[in-house]
Parts: sequence; structure tokens; C-alpha cells
Amino acid sequence: MTSHFNDDHFAKRVLERISDEKLTPRPRWEFVFKNYVFWGLGAVAIALGAFAFSAMLFEIENVDWRLALVTHGSFLAFFLDAAPFLWVGALALFIALGYVNVRRTNHGYRYSLALIAAGAVLTSLTFGAALYATGWGGLIEETVGAYAPFHRPILTEERSWWLAPGKGLLGGHIVSAAPDVASFVLRDFNGALWNVDGSDLRMPDMAAVARGGLVRIVGVPTTATSTVFHACFVLSWEFHGDFQRAPSPLPVAAIASTSERSPFVARSEVCKGIRPYQQLRALDEAGF
Amino acid sequence: MPLDMTDEEIVRRTLSDKEAFAPIIERYESKLLRYLERLGVLVREDREDILQNAFVKAYKNLNSFDPTLSFSSWMYRIVHNEAMSFFRAKRSRPQVILSEEGEVLITELRDDASDAAADAELRLSQEALGRAFAELEPRYRDALILRFFEERSYAEMSDILEVPVGTVSTLLYRAKRALRELLPERTPSP
Repeated sequence: MTSHFNDDHFAKRVLERISDEKLTPRPRWEFVFKNYVFWGLGAVAIALGAFAFSAMLFEIENVDWRLALVTHGSFLAFFLDAAPFLWVGALALFIALGYVNVRRTNHGYRYSLALIAAGAVLTSLTFGAALYATGWGGLIEETVGAYAPFHRPILTEERSWWLAPGKGLLGGHIVSAAPDVASFVLRDFNGALWNVDGSDLRMPDMAAVARGGLVRIVGVPTTATSTVFHACFVLSWEFHGDFQRAPSPLPVAAIASTSERSPFVARSEVCKGIRPYQQLRALDEAGF
Repeated sequence: MPLDMTDEEIVRRTLSDKEAFAPIIERYESKLLRYLERLGVLVREDREDILQNAFVKAYKNLNSFDPTLSFSSWMYRIVHNEAMSFFRAKRSRPQVILSEEGEVLITELRDDASDAAADAELRLSQEALGRAFAELEPRYRDALILRFFEERSYAEMSDILEVPVGTVSTLLYRAKRALRELLPERTPSP
């Protein structure tokens, strides 16, 4: 709108335009509301960041990095399968959204990027840790994981690693065991029953079997049609930070009084061929 | 309307009587037109259009005026944003012409110079400084204009440019350094 006028009349012209266009000041509540909306969106973004962090903690806590070379060919392959990329990305995104929204509040520009980012990160991490500690991390990981197209919940992912008898890896619940744990029955994650030969197990493995519940077994690779599995190592499997953690199972055997096997005798040759034998032995002896 | 009324009092009165807005327009009109010229809006009609739009926008948004900052800073912010929109719409780079006020900048750069060699570097013609100033990144130029020509404090600049005070300091430091780098080779000391 070009107007050519003397400076003396400038105010008059502005007021005339205000009158001609029938302009009135916008109501205060609009600005107050807008300010609250940005604060609210910032808070929601940081809360979602906290959810993402709790799920990330759940994923990190439930991945057994010590068994990376048991389930995967290399540490890199394990990292690509197990690292919580989705949650790291979500946390970064929500913190960024928190920053953008807080920055757009009335005085948001007065706070530095470092200050807002540090506040958003600390808030997300603190509440995220609290959510994880109260069991929500697992619930979020499992629920979101069930719907996210590029993400499998970590527990589902891990179960798939231990459903590979052809590679000598088997996981599931112990159904029953012989008194000396020389053999036991295991139900895998697909519901199939396995007769497991425990003759090569040593004391720590036997104790894991006797405790019952969920276990991971490293054994001799078997054929696709077989339902018999030769176990070399048995590792207890407990979930951390699970909201609906199942109660501890009842013991299925009492090996201390019945076992006649010595924990110091070496395993048979068939077990020594499994990879990585020495690492598993070290874990076993350390009381995995 | 009493002449000694504060800006904030006029704003409050304007909310119920638009005619009360006139004194504040008169109070800021020449300052803001000069500011627009310094920002690089060289055509007088353009400056007047931008300023008129800015006052209309200020009137419409009077209820968003936050009394914790000065009305002056708020008005400068609106004018600054309108000027940036103007440059974006015209897809043009501000054409800055440094008038005799460039002396202020020379003094400032000389004060910052740490040794005689750097001081000699600043024995420049007004024209050379003007050319260097025009080549500066717009955000650096805006910071220098507000600080040394408009004589705004760091807090006011923070409110006008909508950046933290720390960023204002950084902008000014970098702007002065960039300006020195853009200056032509020094003339030998006498």
C-alpha cells in the first residue's frame, strides 16, 4: 500500500487505514492461549521423549551383549540387530520438538539453545528413567514395537535368535527335568516340546535348569525334523524392567543332593566344537 | 493526551480508544524511518509503506505487547521483521549506504584494536568502510546497526532480534571481526 504524504500526516494516515479496514486489536486470550499451546506442545514432546528413553533403557537392559558372538556372526551384526535405533531417533526428535516449541513461547527466545536442549534432555532422561524403573519401559517397547513398521520389540527379536536349533541355539521354558538334570523337557517359543540331553551340563547349567523358568540353551546344531537337542550350556533368562513380570517359577529339580556329576570334568568333544566355546565356558564359570 | 505519558500508558489507553495511538506513532515515526533506511530500504515510499504496515500490525497485536519488555523494543522488532519480509518478497539484498555515522563504527573498531598495526588498518576512507559494511552478512549488519547506530543495549537487541543475550554478544564479536576482514589492505602508518 503505497501512500505519498507528508510526515506530519503519517499518524493520521495510519489511523485512517485502521478505521477503513475496521481493524480492532485481537483479544488477549488468543495470545495467552497460543503461548500455553506452545508450552503444552513442548511439555508433550518432552514427555514423549521420556517414554522413548524408558523404552530405550528397556531395550538396552534386555539385550545380552555378552552373548553377541553366540547369536551373531560378528559384533557389528549383533549391534545392528540390537541397538535401539528407533528409540534413539525418537528421543532426539522429541527433544528437538520440545526445543522448537519452547523457543516459540513468549520469552522462549531469551533461553539459549544449550539451556533449552539441556533442560529437555535432563527432563526426558529423568522421567524416562523413572518410567523404566516402574516398568513402563517394557510396556511401551512392546506396544509400540507391535505397530512400528521398521521395529520389532527387542524381546521378540531375541526370541527369534534363540529359535534356531539348526545353529545350536534354543530358548524356552523348562517343563520338567529328570532328578539329576541328565535330561529335561523344554517348550520353545513356538510351543514345540524338546527333549534336551543334559549329560554335558556342568554345575552352573544344572542349577539354571533346576531353577526352571525361561532359559537359553547353546548346544549341538540339530536337524530341522529332530525334537532332541544336546545341550552344552544353559543360561537363565530374566527380563529386566518388565511391567508384568511373571512370578519366579517353582524349581523343577533339586540337583544338589542328587547329582553325581563333577562340575570340574570337561565337557564331551561334541560340545567343544561349538562356537564360541571358550567364551561360553568363561561365562558359565563366572556364574552367568 | 498529556505528552509525558509513557508508551505503556498510551498502549493501555489505545485498547479502548484507537485515536490514542497517534502520539505513539508520532513518537517513533522518524526513529523507525531512519532505522529502515539503515537496514537498507533506500526508497522513501518503501520505508513509509513498511512503517505503516508495522504500525497497523502493532495496533492489531497490542494485546500481545508484553510490558516486561519496552514498547520501543517491541516496535523495533515489528519493524525489523517487516523489513525482512520486504527483502524476502523483493528477493533483494539490502542496499546499505553508510553515511557519516560510519565514523562510530571506525571508532568502535579502533577501540577494539589491540596493537598499532591493527589501528593503522582502520585509517580508512568512509567509502571503503561503506563497501565492507555492505558486504557483511545481513545478521551481522543488523547487529551492528542496532548496537552502534540505534544505540540499543544487549538486552534490547535480544528482544528485537529474538535471540538470547549471549547470542547478541557473539553476533557483535563476529560482526566486528568480519568487518575487519572485509576491509581493504591497510595504508602505511605515517
